[in-house]
Amino acid sequence: MTVEEQIREIVARITHVDKNAITRESTFKEIKADSLDIVQALVAVEEAFGIEIPDEEAQKFQNFGDFVSYVEGRVAQGGKV
Amino acid sequence: MSLEGRLALVTGGGRGIGQAIALKLASQGADIIVNFFRHRESAEKTAKDIEALGVKAETIRANVGDPAKIEEMFDMIGNKFGHLDILINNAASGVGRPVMDVDVKAWEWTMDINARACLLCAQRAAKLMEERGGKIVSISSLGSPFVLPNYSIVGISKAALEALTRYLAIELAPQGICVNAVAASAVETEALKFYFKEGLVKDVRQVTPAGRMVIPEDVANVVAFLCSEEAFMIRGQTVVVDGGTSVGLFTLVGKEGE
Repeated sequence: MTVEEQIREIVARITHVDKNAITRESTFKEIKADSLDIVQALVAVEEAFGIEIPDEEAQKFQNFGDFVSYVEGRVAQGGKV
Repeated sequence: MSLEGRLALVTGGGRGIGQAIALKLASQGADIIVNFFRHRESAEKTAKDIEALGVKAETIRANVGDPAKIEEMFDMIGNKFGHLDILINNAASGVGRPVMDVDVKAWEWTMDINARACLLCAQRAAKLMEERGGKIVSISSLGSPFVLPNYSIVGISKAALEALTRYLAIELAPQGICVNAVAASAVETEALKFYFKEGLVKDVRQVTPAGRMVIPEDVANVVAFLCSEEAFMIRGQTVVVDGGTSVGLFTLVGKEGE
């Protein structure tokens, strides 16, 4: 499974949104993710990939694609897939 | 008051009230383990500031909302130090909502971090204190005895924390472990800015007889006292640090119309 697919699974599980409805352009509002969903998704992704995502970085994510791109970058630097 | 030679764990010790407590205990001579979860940078800076006071500091990342992470954290402390003298249950989180909007997810998230973690940390900490006694202080808030707007689940979790404090105080007394809590009103921290945004606090200064808001150091001073031998006979109490706000509530009645 790619990084994007893994993150999509995690976000879908937490927000109870159909994973096929989550595109790279989807905003967190469109996914109906509230602040708690976002924190839980960050925590789950951090655990899944063995990385830390500082809040300052997370606040820059405009949509799902930004989230995925950030994690892809961190994984390329040495996280685990 | 000297805490020289003592080892303290402060959960959520990298920022706000936890940071002030960590620095205060360090200034009294205690070595400090700074637990953090999502803010590594501030935790590492706090550790440096602690070391500058001439004591030892460690940082340890653990989500206290996850029992397995609490186990790992205490395994590390046990293996490395073999004992613990002081536990400060400070880490907290929450969802600002009216009580009728609290769902299972918000309830579990908040209760797991604010209440269950205090139980699990105290259980593990007490085992590391068995030989030499110890102090456990948990951080509560006025949202437990009073109703604050959109604070529901956090206030409920703090009520659980205060009740837990009483039960622990009695059960751990024979082991020489003193257990207490400190409840503050709105404290000037980063977390408060979140609640300002959420509309919880309009201007706390106006309703604080002491004339200013509570700052983290006010809370830290009381925590340090409760960790000292001078506080030996205080057990299972929640000490309020609010500049007189809670006892002066009725003096505010009618003020709006003046």
